[in-house]
Formats: sequence, structure tokens, C-alpha cells
Amino acid sequence: MVGVLQYAKRRVDALRGNYETQRIHEDDLGTHFQLLLLVVVVVFPIAVALAVSTKQSGVVTSVVDLFPGGNAVENYREVLVDYQFGRFMWNSLAMSVVIVVGKLIISVFAAMAIVYYRVPYKDLVFLFILFTLLLPVPVRFIPLFQLMNDLGWSNTILAITVPYLASATTVFILRQHFLSIPTSIVETAKLDGVGPLKFMLFVLLPMSKGVLVGVSIIMFVYAWNQYLWPLIIIDSEANQVAQVGLQLLQGDVQGGQLSWSLVMAGSTLTLLPPLLLMIVFRKPLLETFSIQQK
Amino acid sequence: MSTREIFDSRIESGLLLLPTLLVTVVFLYYPTALAFRTSFFDSSFGRAEVFVGLENYVGLLTSSGYHRSIFISVVFAAVVVVGVVVVSLYLTFLIHEVDTGQGLYLISVIWPYALPPAVGALVFLFITHPTLGVLTGPIESLGVEVDWFNNGSQAFVVVALAAIWKQIGYNVIFMIAAMNNVPDTLTETAELDGVGGLRRLVSVYIPIMTPTIFFLVIINTIYAFFGTFAFVDLLTSGGPSNATNILIFNLYQEGFSFFNFGVASAKSVVLFVIVGVLMFVQFQITDRYSYYGG
Repeated sequence: MVGVLQYAKRRVDALRGNYETQRIHEDDLGTHFQLLLLVVVVVFPIAVALAVSTKQSGVVTSVVDLFPGGNAVENYREVLVDYQFGRFMWNSLAMSVVIVVGKLIISVFAAMAIVYYRVPYKDLVFLFILFTLLLPVPVRFIPLFQLMNDLGWSNTILAITVPYLASATTVFILRQHFLSIPTSIVETAKLDGVGPLKFMLFVLLPMSKGVLVGVSIIMFVYAWNQYLWPLIIIDSEANQVAQVGLQLLQGDVQGGQLSWSLVMAGSTLTLLPPLLLMIVFRKPLLETFSIQQK
Repeated sequence: MSTREIFDSRIESGLLLLPTLLVTVVFLYYPTALAFRTSFFDSSFGRAEVFVGLENYVGLLTSSGYHRSIFISVVFAAVVVVGVVVVSLYLTFLIHEVDTGQGLYLISVIWPYALPPAVGALVFLFITHPTLGVLTGPIESLGVEVDWFNNGSQAFVVVALAAIWKQIGYNVIFMIAAMNNVPDTLTETAELDGVGGLRRLVSVYIPIMTPTIFFLVIINTIYAFFGTFAFVDLLTSGGPSNATNILIFNLYQEGFSFFNFGVASAKSVVLFVIVGVLMFVQFQITDRYSYYGG
């Protein structure tokens, strides 16, 4: 949506014949100055983290100390190996990938049943799924903890993935997208006698690539950034995720056993996967958000 | 609409819905029901549950600590929501105003969407650390003694700033889409009438963007109540003297520091009611505005 509008705007400007020159002159330098200032404020904390992660001690008391140091390789090696961040990152990745793939598969199934099947009560089923928006993890984590103990799943990857698999948001976004696929295409498929499996694989999924990528990024960021639930349900370091790994580092640095440069190296590592995915796939991500709000 | 429903096998649609429904019932509805049930019991590790009726709720009604936590949560949410919306609106407006470098500015301010709250918390802990922080010197040169490990109001401000910082990205993503939807003719008319700069934002864009802003106010409120747990846990642990002990952290302590699952379940039910009210308000508002734009 955003892209289309910007494109249309540009086309109109191009038709007026003076796109480049006119636009650059129209930009107000003051606006650019304010934007640059605000961008610096928004980026500053992470720039500090990045700079400090390359230094030896991590004691930075003035802005002049913010030039990168020469200890990057050693710091990152120490955090990844000695402080087990390699392991934590791997566990976070496993958790996030299982959640993304699992959610995607079962949500495509559910949305397909809701949009393309003529069966009774399906609106009720959709409402039943949508109602779970009222039940986020913070409302459920006390009983969920008891349930995991009963199931014997505490401290396993099952505990940090399976409860996340059902997603009202994903089903909702996919349903909205499926409803926007022209009926003529759907009817053609029916006339050709295409069965449900072929319809899903050769019609639905190819027509949903952008949305599938978009929801995958949304779900990956959501899964990767989970903190409260792993903190409660995972109690061995071997199975711990990166977010809670940061809490372990924080405990050590507050106790004075650890240099801040290592904590900032761990923080930078934990930020990288969701940040890179977001930057690379920003276009489908933004388009998917514009579906979500409708 | 009806032509989309090209399949009619109840068994197939049932199988497609089964995984989502199964996870929904077992890990979302059942734990919620369990929370309601346990809230009427005295329940902890290693001893038999005892039915106590409404005692847990009566305890909450009379607990001054819990009342304080509610008060702090409401003030915190108000500060975070207003801060996020105002900063994001202004940033969005500036980005909307420029044509050169728009894409670059956009990604430089929306990236905190991907920021893990735990990373944001540790970076803030570092840059505002009372003895080591990069910002501590500059702030103290303004005549403020940085002492937020002991000073409750300062701790509140640090947690709120970190929480606001993280949420700006998500808001700008939705606001830029809404602002780009404002017809160019309207902007041009406003400019011809001499309505420039900030006045155009306040009297032209904001009224048109009202549905989006309402949507974000609700999302941000839920975020402030529940999504900020990692900030509180890593920055202040609810302290000093409970100055930052918002409801979600209070609930976490009840469950996993004191192991009072009965009281914790009653507190979960309170949170459920809060989410319910917020979602209901959002639903009403979306309904009212569905005639416009969208």
C-alpha cells in the first residue's frame, strides 16, 4: 500500500516533468537537520553498545571514549564460547524457526478452511480463534507453568515452542489476504477440478508469497524476543535462550565479575538476527502490517 | 464472497482446523480456565490445595501494595503511551515532509521494532549507569545527580524512556502508512491556504489519522502493561522501594518469588480483565471508524 502510493506520487511528479530538481529544492534543510538529530538519538544507544563491544574494559565515561577498540574478536569469542552465547543463540534460533514454521503451516491450514470451505459454524470457529487475542502469555504464564510441570515439558524445547503455535494474528492476516485473491482465479481452479491440496500448493501459496514472508518476519521477531516465558520455564543453561542469557550476563556484571564490553557484545549478538531479517525483508514486512490493521 | 467457498468436505475442513484448535484449547483456553479455578484456592508448591473462596480477591482489594502497583502501572502506561505517540507522530511527519532519503530515514527510526526488550534494557542500564554511564556525566553537568538505583522517580523515568525508545519503530510503521494515505490534494490545498508545518500536522493529518492513532494507543497501552517486563526485570527488578513495580512484574514476583499460585492466579484474572476491557474499547472504536478510509 505504502509502496503503491509513493509510486503513484512519483509518477505524478514525473509527469509534471521536473521530479528531481523540484523535489530536492522543496526539501527544507531544517527538516533534514531535525531528522538527523532524532535519528542520532534513536541509534545512539546501539552505537554505544557496538563501540563498547570492541573495547577491552568497557569503561566509557565520556563521549570521546566511544571510538571502537581493538578487542572485538577476543570479546565476541569469549562471549560466544566461554559464556555459552553460541549455545544460547542456537537455542533461540531453534525455538524461533520451530515457531515460525509450525505457526505458518497450521495457520495456512486454518485460514484455508475458514475462507474456502462451505461448512457450518466456521464463523464461530474463527471467532473462537480470534478471542485468544485476549489471552496473551502474561495472562496465562502462571497456569501454563503448572501445566508444563504436569506434562513433564519443563526445561524442554517443547515448552517454549508448542504453546506459541496457535496464532490468532497470523490466521487473521492470512484470512484477510485470502479474501483479497480474486474470485475469478478461485472459480477457474474449481472448474479445472483442482483438489484442496493442489489448490493450496499451486494456487494459494504462490499467490501469497509476500504475505507469507511478512508474517514470518513478524513471528520470528516475536519469537526471538520472548523473555518472560523462557525465563520461567527453562532452568538449565544448556537449554537457555539468548534473551535470558543476557540476564545471566547482567547478574555477573552487576556482581563485578564481568566486563561491560562482554555484556555489550552479547547484546549486539542478540540484536543482530531480528534486525538483519527486518532490514532485508522490510518491504513485505511493511505490506503485511498494512493488512493487519484492517 | 460465496463463490470463494469451493470445497465442502466437513472432514477436510475439520482436519485443517484441528491443529490450531488443539493448541488453542490446550495451551490458551485450558490454562485460562485453570487460572480462574486456582484463583479460588490457596495453592503453592509441596502442599495440598485448599479452597478459600474469594479470599484471594479480597486480599487484593485490601492490599495497599497491589493498589500501589495498579497506580504505578496506570501512570507508567500513560507516560509511555503519550511519549511514544507524540515522538512517533512528529518523526513520521518529518519523514513525510522530505523526499530525499525518505527510505533511509524510515529504516533508521523503525528498526527498534526488531529490538529485543532485554537488549534495550541492558544498553540503557549501561548508558545511564550512575557511575559508569556515558550519559551520566552530561546529565549531571545539567545539575541533576544521577542516582536511579536509589531514587524511585529517576528509576521510573529510566524504565519509561527505554520502553518508549523500543516502541517508536512499531508506531512509525503504522503512522507513515496512514499519513501517506492522506490525499495529496488535501496537502496542496492546506499549503495554498498557508497552513504550513506543525499546524498542518495538527489540523489536517492527525484528524484523518485518528483511527490509526486510536489503534496504536490501545496497542501501546497493552505493551506498557505487559510488554515491558524485561525492562523492569533487568533495569530495576521493580525497585527501588517498588517505584517501578508494575502489575506484570508484581504478578511474576507473586508466582516465582513467593510461589503463591492462588494469589498469582487471582492477579492473572485481573490482568485478563484489563486486556479484555482494552480490546473491547479497541473493537468499539474500529467499528465506529470503519466508514472512513480503511
